[in-house]
Formats: sequence, C-alpha cells, structure tokens
Amino acid sequence: MEKFRVLFQHFQSSSESVMNGICLLLAAVTIKLYSSFDFNCPCLARYNALYGLGLLLTPPLALFLCGLLANRQSVLMVEEWRRPVGHRRKDPGIIRYMCSSVLQRALAAPLVWILLALLDGKCFVCAFSSSVDPEKFLDFANMTPSQVQLFLAKVPCKEDELVRDSPARKAVSRYLRCLSQAIGWSITLLLIILAFLGRCLRPCFDQTVFLQRRYWSNYVDLEQKLFDETCCEHARDFAHRCVLHFFANMQSEMRARGLRRDTADRDPEPPVTPGPQDGLDGGGSGKAHLRAVCSREQVDRLLSTWYSSKPPLDLLASPGIWGGRGGLNHRALTVAPGNRLSQHTDV
Amino acid sequence: MDKFRMIFQFLQSNQESFMNGICGIMALASAQMYSAFDFNCPCLPGYNAAYSAGILLAPPLVLFLLGLVMNNNVSMLAEEWKRPPGRRAKDPAVLRYMFCSMAQRALIAPVVWVAVTLLDGKCFLCAFCTAVPVSVLGNGSLAPGLSPPELARLLARVPCPDIYDGDWLLAREVAVRYLRCISQALGWSFVLLTTLLAFVVRSVRPCFTQAAFLKSKYWSHYIDIERKLFDETCTEHAKAFAKVCIQQFFEAMNHDLELGHAHGALATAPAGLAAPAPPEGAEEEREKLRGITDQGAVNRLLTSWHKCKPPLRLGQEEPPVGNGWAGGGPRPPRKEVATYFSRV
Repeated sequence: MEKFRVLFQHFQSSSESVMNGICLLLAAVTIKLYSSFDFNCPCLARYNALYGLGLLLTPPLALFLCGLLANRQSVLMVEEWRRPVGHRRKDPGIIRYMCSSVLQRALAAPLVWILLALLDGKCFVCAFSSSVDPEKFLDFANMTPSQVQLFLAKVPCKEDELVRDSPARKAVSRYLRCLSQAIGWSITLLLIILAFLGRCLRPCFDQTVFLQRRYWSNYVDLEQKLFDETCCEHARDFAHRCVLHFFANMQSEMRARGLRRDTADRDPEPPVTPGPQDGLDGGGSGKAHLRAVCSREQVDRLLSTWYSSKPPLDLLASPGIWGGRGGLNHRALTVAPGNRLSQHTDV
Repeated sequence: MDKFRMIFQFLQSNQESFMNGICGIMALASAQMYSAFDFNCPCLPGYNAAYSAGILLAPPLVLFLLGLVMNNNVSMLAEEWKRPPGRRAKDPAVLRYMFCSMAQRALIAPVVWVAVTLLDGKCFLCAFCTAVPVSVLGNGSLAPGLSPPELARLLARVPCPDIYDGDWLLAREVAVRYLRCISQALGWSFVLLTTLLAFVVRSVRPCFTQAAFLKSKYWSHYIDIERKLFDETCTEHAKAFAKVCIQQFFEAMNHDLELGHAHGALATAPAGLAAPAPPEGAEEEREKLRGITDQGAVNRLLTSWHKCKPPLRLGQEEPPVGNGWAGGGPRPPRKEVATYFSRV
C-alpha cells in the first residue's frame, strides 16, 4: 500500500507526471480491452482481409483520439495557438513542443494495441490467409484453385468442418503466425531504438531551447489551472456577498415600509452594521479575493480580457495604480481589470 | 478500500481528472451491466427484431435519463431557466453551457452500452438472422424449395443452437460468424465516430468561442455556488430563529410563572430574574437574524429570492432598476453598507 501511495504522489507531482499517469492508465485499459474482445474472423473470401485489417487499424485510431481527448494539454495547445496576441507574444516553439508531447503520449495506447494484435497473430492470420501462396505447401497439390481458395479462407476458423484437424490448415496458420510475430517484434525493437536514440541524442541539439520550451509549456498549464481556481474563489466570494446583500436589502426594505414591530424596545440601534469590524479595512482574505471585481460587467470584461489580451510575462512591469494588495480603491474600478491581474502574485 | 481512496485522490487532483474519472466509472458500470444481463433471443420470426431493437435502444435511453436525474445540476438548470428575470437578466449562453455539459456526461453510459452490444454481437445476430444471404453462405440451390415463411422460421432459430435444425441448408457457425463480423465492424465504426465527434467538438471549440465559453463557465459555476450559499445562509437563519424563538418562549414561561407566584415565596427571588437580561449568546443570535424575525418576513424573503433575484452588482444601495444592467458609467465613491462577513 505504501508503494502505491508513493507512486500516486509521484504522478501527481507535476502536470507532466499527471499526463504520464493518464497515458499509462490508457495503455492498461487497452490491454484489458484487447484481452476481453472476442475475435471473430468471418472466414469468407473477401471479408477476411477487411475484418483483419479493420481490427488492426480502427481501434488504434479510436484509442489515439481518446488519448488526445483525455489529455488536458491538447486543449491548452489549441487555445495557445488560437489566442489573440494581446500583451504576450506567441512562441511557435512552445506550441510545437506541446504538440509533440501530446502526440507522443497519445500514441502509446494505439501502439500497444497494434503490437498486441501482431504478437497474438489472430488478426494477421485472418487478414492474410487468403493471400498465402499455395505453392509453399505440399498439401494443396491435388486441389483445384477454387477449392484452395475456399480452404485458405477457412484457415482462421479452427472448428469449421472443412478444415478441422487438417495438417494443411495448421501449417498455414503456423506460417502466418510466425510472420506476424516477427513483424510485431521488429516493430517493437524499432520503436525502442527510436525512443532510445531520441532520448540520448536530444541533449546534443539545442538543450537550452528545449529547457525553455518545457518550462513555458508547463507554465501555460499551471497558469490556466490557477486562473480557474482564482475564478472559483472569486465566484464564491461574489456569491457570498450577493446573498448577504440580499438579506440586508430585505431588511432595509421592510424597515422602509414600517413592517418591523417593536424595534424600539428590542434593538435600539439598527443592526445594519454589526459583525466583525474588520469588514472594510483590508477585510482579510474575503475582500482580497474579490479584488474589486464586483459586478457582472466587470467579470465579463475580466474574462474577455484574459482571453483576448493576456498579460505580459513580466511581473515587475508598470506597478500601476494598485501599489499593494487588497484594499478597496474606487479609482481602481475604472482601470480595466485585465491589467490588474498581472500584479497579483499571491499564489 | 485504501486503494480506492488513493485512486479517487489521484482522479480528484484537478477538475479535469475528476471528470475523466467520472466518465471512466460510468463507462465501466455500463459495461458491467451489460455483462451481467442475460441475453435471451426468442428465436421466432416476428419477435427477434423487436426484442433486439428493444435491447439495443431501451437501456441506453434509461441510462441517459438516469445520468441526467443523478446529476444535481439538473434542478439548478431548471430553476435558472424558469425563474422570473427580476433584477437579474437571464443569459441563454449560460443555460446552453449548463445543458451541454450535463448532456455530455449523461451520454457516456448509453454510448458504451450501444458499443458493447454491437461488439458482442448477440443482439445483431438475433435481429438479422433472417436476413442472411443463404445463396452466398450456404447451399443456395436448396433455398428455393422453401416458402419464405418456412425459410424465415428456419433462419430465426440460428441464434439458438439447441433448436436449430437447418444445417442442411446453412451451417449455423457460418451464419453466426458472418453476422458477428458485421456487428463488430459496425460497433468499431460507431466507437470511432463518437470519439471523432468528441475530439472535434473539444479541439475546435477553442478556435471559435473561447471568450464566451470562459464567461459561461464562470457564471454557471457562480449560479451553483450562489444557490449553495443561499441554502447555507437560510439554514443559519433558521437555526438562529429557532434558538431565539425557544429562548423567548422560556423567558415568557418564566415571566408567567413569576407573575403567577408574585405573592409567593418567589417574590423574594433576586429581581434579576423578573426582568431577564438576555444571556450573552442571545444578542449574537439576534444579529444572525438580520432583522428577519417573523414568518411573513421569511416567506417574503424566499418569494423575493425566486421572483426577483438581486442584480450582479455588489456594494451599492440602489433602487431596483429593471435588471442587473443598471448604468455603466463611473460612480461616485460608494459607502460600503454590507459588512456581513460571517464566515460561511
């Protein structure tokens, strides 16, 4: 149990680790899917090749798309690609880096499926049994070509009465399986060599550029997550104050209509401003969360600006009107909320 | 148990993973349901297709509705849709966003059911066994000797191995393999199509309406949180109301007893009891009531919350002005009136 805990903590440590974890999960799901799938070759002349090749290629395509879907960075990459430039210029190298990392991880599950199918052999036997050259096998010497074709089509089906217990069927089947496994292992070896070379030779080219791109692609991911969290906090505080405001308004409305009874002897002073006196000044984290963005139009403007004009990656630029944190300054409300965001480093 | 907790923690590490986790769980549940279900083809000419169509289509519908029902946000969507505008305008984009995200999640289990049904093949076999091309797969020369109803009755028994008696016409395994192959091809095509659709929707969206999407996401989250906070505040209020009500009752009882025994021994009791000084806690409770102190007021408050939601504009005491879009120009410095910072 302890090592699982360590493993999970490791996978949660950074966004790259999370993506690796999801990639591994998807590979495990692929293995389970393949083993639980009931292979069913039709053993008919034209259908065999279609079925065999279809089963070799369609599930990998679907798994590739699933891999892209499950990966958060694919959406981030498209967003980063399509955003307006704003105050932050775009770096195509970062987008390329994100694209390649997303594609690499998404290719894992399809490759697992293809390799499993090849090493297992059933797909290959089904697809290519009709294309085997009968000259290679002595058992077909005294059969007419159409009989041979019929026989070959039924090779993948062990239990079919035409080919049951036939040494010719076993020979063809063994031949095709051997071929399939050879191809499977060759592909595995090739992929591993490519991965090894890629990993080892990368530091020889542009290591600093690579480090920069990795940093900034990680940054984009974290920034988006933090923006979402900040929006959630803001929504929570906004809602809280809205509800309290509503209660207060109700109360003042009722007082205005004179509907309160016996206020004189019960509460001599209007209980409008009781409560903790730290409400206005600094307001602890409650006020700071709202950051003076207090109306629908302001929130909408903030979100539009975040999209259309991302702040520059320069924390020390233009201190601006808001020298410090928190505090409600009415002048700040006339400044576009987007600029203020660049000052907030209280993460 | 520990393992599940850790998997759950991993999936909860961010919102995205959590949603993926929910999707995975629903897919698994659907697949498990299918494997637990005992498929039972009737093997009769007219009934096969009806049974299979029922198995293919009815459970997905049920699963979709179940997915919507189990989602807490459905009532939130309905509420937001039907409420009177009050002082807060309704935004159709937010409603659309809420509906789309709920529908997407609810569609996963039905899609998995359909995919698993097609990949398994029993349903398709049962439905289309009478449509098998006998002339291609079996002894085509013998087929014309049978009348169509006879042929149909014979072929309808293909899914049931123990009663199939047509081996002289068409080997059962051949028909089964043929139909299952087509069923699996359809199943994989269906899976590919749905993943392609999901991928296109998810990847192409940022190219178009990203700013509007951010707004809709924010406001739908806001509506959810506001509703929860309102419920919490009402609960707090109800508690304070109850406490004060009970305290007052006891005080009144006490007072009555005092009056009743005014000439008795209790007359010598400390005067403090007759004029009850409210204990320390009572003042706090009264404050929590925020001035809403009778049933009529509470009812008015709740009606007003539904009929006339406050505008999305904080920190002002303005007269009700249409909806929440009152003015946009710079305002003079405002007095902060609402200072209730009871920490929820």
